[in-house]
Amino acid sequence: MKKRIVSLAMCALMMTSVFAGCGSKSASTASASAKGDYSKEITLDVYDDFANYNGEQSGWFAKVVKDKFNIKLNIIAPNVAGGGDTLFQTRTAAGDLGDLILVGTSNGRLDDLVDAGLVIDMTDYMQGQDVVTQYKDAIDAANEGLDGMYAMPYSCSSDSATTPSEGTEPTFGPYVRWDYYAELGYPEVTDLNSLLDVLEDMQKLAREEEGTDDIYAFSFFKDWDGNMMNNAKQPCCMYGYDELGFVLSKYDGSEDISILDEDSPYMDVVKLYYEANQRGLVDPDSTTQNYDIMSSKYAEGKILFCPWPWASKSYFNTQENTAAGKGYEMLPIDDMKIFSYGAYPQGDTSRAICIGSQAEDPQRIADFIAWLYTPEGIECNEQGNGAQGPQGLTWDVDENGKPYLTEFGKKALPSNDVTVPDEWGGGSWKDGVSALNFQCVNLQDIDPNTGSDKYNYTTWESYLADASTPLEEDWSAHMDGAKTTMEYLESHDMLGVAPGTTYSTPTEDSNISTIRGQVKTTIVDGTWKMIFASNDKEYENLKKEMIDTAKGLGYDDCLKIDMQNAKDQTAARQAAKELDAE
Amino acid sequence: MNKLGMSAKKATGFKYFLWILPFMILVFLFSYFPLHGWIYSFYDYKPPRSLSDCDFVGLYWFKMLFSNKTQVAQLIQVMKNTFAMSLLGIMTSIFPLFFAVFLNEIKNKKFKTFVQTFTTLPNFISWVLVFSVAFALFSSNGMVNNFLMDNNFITEPIKFLDSDTHTYLKMLFWSMWKGLGWGSIIYLSSIASIDQELYEAASIDGAGRFQKMKYITIPELMPTFFVMLMMSVSNFLNNGMDQYYVFQNSFNKEHIQVLDLYVYNIGMTGSSYSLATAISMLKSIISVALLTVCNLVSKAVRGETIV
Amino acid sequence: MKGNKLDNASSAAKYKLSAGDKVFSVINYLVFGIFTLICIYPFYYMIINTISANDLSAAGDIRFLPSGIHFSNYQALLSLNGLGTAALVSIGKTVIGTVTTVLATAFLGFMFTQERMWKRKFWYRYVVIIMYFNAGLIPMFITMKTLGLTNTFWVYIIPGIVQPFNIILVKTYIESLPKSVQEAAEIDGAGVFRRFWQITLPVCTPILATVAIFAAVGQWNSYQDTLIYITDQKLYSLQYLLYTYINQASSLAAMVRNTGMQGMSAAALATQQTPTSIQMTVSVVVVLPILCIYPIFQRYFVKGIMIGSVKG
Repeated sequence: MKKRIVSLAMCALMMTSVFAGCGSKSASTASASAKGDYSKEITLDVYDDFANYNGEQSGWFAKVVKDKFNIKLNIIAPNVAGGGDTLFQTRTAAGDLGDLILVGTSNGRLDDLVDAGLVIDMTDYMQGQDVVTQYKDAIDAANEGLDGMYAMPYSCSSDSATTPSEGTEPTFGPYVRWDYYAELGYPEVTDLNSLLDVLEDMQKLAREEEGTDDIYAFSFFKDWDGNMMNNAKQPCCMYGYDELGFVLSKYDGSEDISILDEDSPYMDVVKLYYEANQRGLVDPDSTTQNYDIMSSKYAEGKILFCPWPWASKSYFNTQENTAAGKGYEMLPIDDMKIFSYGAYPQGDTSRAICIGSQAEDPQRIADFIAWLYTPEGIECNEQGNGAQGPQGLTWDVDENGKPYLTEFGKKALPSNDVTVPDEWGGGSWKDGVSALNFQCVNLQDIDPNTGSDKYNYTTWESYLADASTPLEEDWSAHMDGAKTTMEYLESHDMLGVAPGTTYSTPTEDSNISTIRGQVKTTIVDGTWKMIFASNDKEYENLKKEMIDTAKGLGYDDCLKIDMQNAKDQTAARQAAKELDAE
Repeated sequence: MNKLGMSAKKATGFKYFLWILPFMILVFLFSYFPLHGWIYSFYDYKPPRSLSDCDFVGLYWFKMLFSNKTQVAQLIQVMKNTFAMSLLGIMTSIFPLFFAVFLNEIKNKKFKTFVQTFTTLPNFISWVLVFSVAFALFSSNGMVNNFLMDNNFITEPIKFLDSDTHTYLKMLFWSMWKGLGWGSIIYLSSIASIDQELYEAASIDGAGRFQKMKYITIPELMPTFFVMLMMSVSNFLNNGMDQYYVFQNSFNKEHIQVLDLYVYNIGMTGSSYSLATAISMLKSIISVALLTVCNLVSKAVRGETIV
Repeated sequence: MKGNKLDNASSAAKYKLSAGDKVFSVINYLVFGIFTLICIYPFYYMIINTISANDLSAAGDIRFLPSGIHFSNYQALLSLNGLGTAALVSIGKTVIGTVTTVLATAFLGFMFTQERMWKRKFWYRYVVIIMYFNAGLIPMFITMKTLGLTNTFWVYIIPGIVQPFNIILVKTYIESLPKSVQEAAEIDGAGVFRRFWQITLPVCTPILATVAIFAAVGQWNSYQDTLIYITDQKLYSLQYLLYTYINQASSLAAMVRNTGMQGMSAAALATQQTPTSIQMTVSVVVVLPILCIYPIFQRYFVKGIMIGSVKG
């Protein structure tokens, strides 16, 4: 009988899906359980745009959640399930996205979810929860333009908007094989061109020492090309620019420049790479390899330059290598100003947590969400993003009130395959890490449980003391005694912090997105061809061809919009900065 | 008598139809009924909004691909590639037939089974992995280039993967390698159906091996071949994109971009459900039209329709 | 009837092989031998790479011989949660799906050769045309949901019962058979079912073996149906489970990029399996069963049928 009703309902639904709205707009009519009554176990379908795991949450994090809320989490992860937007499209068409919903809000998606009645207003359920008072601004910002509290914010921070949100390493930066650089006698690098000279010498030296020809200064890959060639964008970020469509916008709003402009930093980098290729500094595999292959080269230390700390240091700076003095470290260029994302005092509004309209027990879900914003929730849930994990297991506070990693913590963190004691849920530490992959609160915030240290345990004094290696000592000695890359950059005024704002690009017309798609491929293809051009004449021809085709397809229409967006973003940043100053 | 016979025949005919009716209903449910979804192509559908909330855009998606000169120029190049690849595919669709015929000439049973089994292997390897093998063999530091360089046959690595020379042929080569063994299965089973008496009679008439191939085996396989040919013609626009996607790079894009890949590349399959629907609808219609033409040609040439 | 037992080989052997024949044979063996090797190499390449050290393999250093042999790729795969259930689901859907498809295909293929059927051409075309139709994801999903098929095992089976391509093959095949047997049976008063079951089906084994291979491989390899219609983990197919496993590896790689250093250490990355190595392992695991089963089907099309003996 029940089945029949369901199928009848579905039948109606199907008809309406074509012509009318689906799902109900009913919000907080029935609250199934008073706060605290968790006697019945429930399983939540968690639709999570950011999860890298599909299926039921297991291990220590599952135990924490089960003990506290009697909830099981069944993660539905489009990233892992595959098929692009398939899951989102079919589930929304059927009117039930999930009980707990973690989504990206860009391109008007949150408004759409609210309008389509797929998420509920949680105002009533959130009454009296700490999160509402503590992160009021962020919650308001997340729900701007909405009538009610539909979304809970991402990456809230108590830091000011002009404080870098990164930990000990910036997102971008010129990283090189420091050992070879040291052998050359630490030559000074004044600008990108002199970096090229240094890298040329390093390549020569490295090849002689290793006795092989497959060491290169640069290696590129195509997987992440978007509006432009990703590898060519990175050095722009070292000079304070970030992309916004086809515009490179400076962190302080002083300059918005079209990437195809004659004197845009992007074009300068393309020229630089072309030069590098002419001098034999570019890995010829670049044109066909993918990220996997490239990262394996970094793991072997065969590429001398890297624009990111995580692609170089993370892969190559193993204990063994660093003990031998080998490894990647940041090499400051005199005129650089590395782009840094400022903290979001109002939260990063590009992501949100919502409660689905078909949820069985919205009160309990709201309680769970509120817990994610408490220190304990942050320590546990955000462990996969770099927090320290549950107190008493991975870390504790010593007699001086300073946090330190326990022996277990040293073995298990950040996410290693270590067996967890049974009273903490058992299983492997790695498998028990929260699959939600959602940072409610920025990890550079102070964790009250530690006294005055951050959630990010890599910034703890005790951790830094342990982590010191001969390589880092040598680097530090040449970096005026700086302990971390960020410390050096901040003290030398080499960091351009773009204030964190709630700005997000507005919904774009379908026709502009389509034109953009075509222009993108033109620019990406053109850039690659230019870098590997055989001579100056060919380079110029390819450049002209690229620009003409891009403009023919409607580059200027996209640019106009991007320029406006850049202006709006700058205004928002300015406002955030002024708010800070107050 | 005659009259009675006619109506009895009709009744039988209808009874036959009733036997297949359940299947026809399945076909309706799973193939025809969902076609109401084609309506999405006339809207600017943006999930999660319901369709009624979305703008009706009429034929916008159909016109969009032709909206300006540069776009048309790109589309022409893309269509050229699509036609070239499809034509090459159709021209080489006889190869699996020959593969089967020649394999049938191998008398050693073990060797035959071995060949038959292992030549289907490439069919099961996804294009992504085919590319990683291709990369290991043909990249600048790949096995082939290393071998040639070590033996001083060449001084500079040959750019097998990242140049735009002979792109069509290279792609044809890969797809043939992947599909030849698998494609021959149909013909191998058809060969098994050939009446052995025909060979007997031919042998008695003194026909040699090649004559038997020419006058018995190949003609007997022709009906199957024509059916397969017709399918590839009606699938002219559907090259698929996986193969071209993994092999594409900025250097060979001009010639590797077939329609399916082009649609994917301009980022539309994911971002616009409506456009994807519009294109698949357009392709359906063109395919059915091609099928009809094939059928008419077949009727004119062979005196019978294929479908 | 003795002559029927002689196959090509023996009848050809009765004649003295000409020089041309010999040359042809040698070339034939040679070409097929080489081509087969070319087909095997990539698979061999995948196998040696999955058992070699992951970093060497990602760098493309493993080409002929494995090095740093280990089986952690396979161990990781075999310890996946729910692998057993998923394998059962996959085997179940492959067996049931293949049997239903083959029977339906054979029956429909046969029925479409019955010229007396009411509007035969129309219905045949009605079936063939659906090959070219693609309604799109959303209406398909809603249809399945309406029919109550989502999150059931039958969603793997029922929609795939009627397969136009295979029906065309069977129909073409039956039409190429000598009509005399059928006609004789009809005159004897055999009903349509008897003619199908006792006369047509036995002589169709080669093409039905082919259809079975196509259907079985299709079922075995598909993951899209799970992706779209199934959220219940108990009904995951093996292919889908493995597919999500591959995706997980790539999205973890992407996470390293997004969260930067904070989430990963050098030690963690060094032991991490690369998406490529996982993909290869999955491929090997999935293809091996096919390779084992395929020769069984193959027997059916080397046999060769003897129309004459059916008569008697």
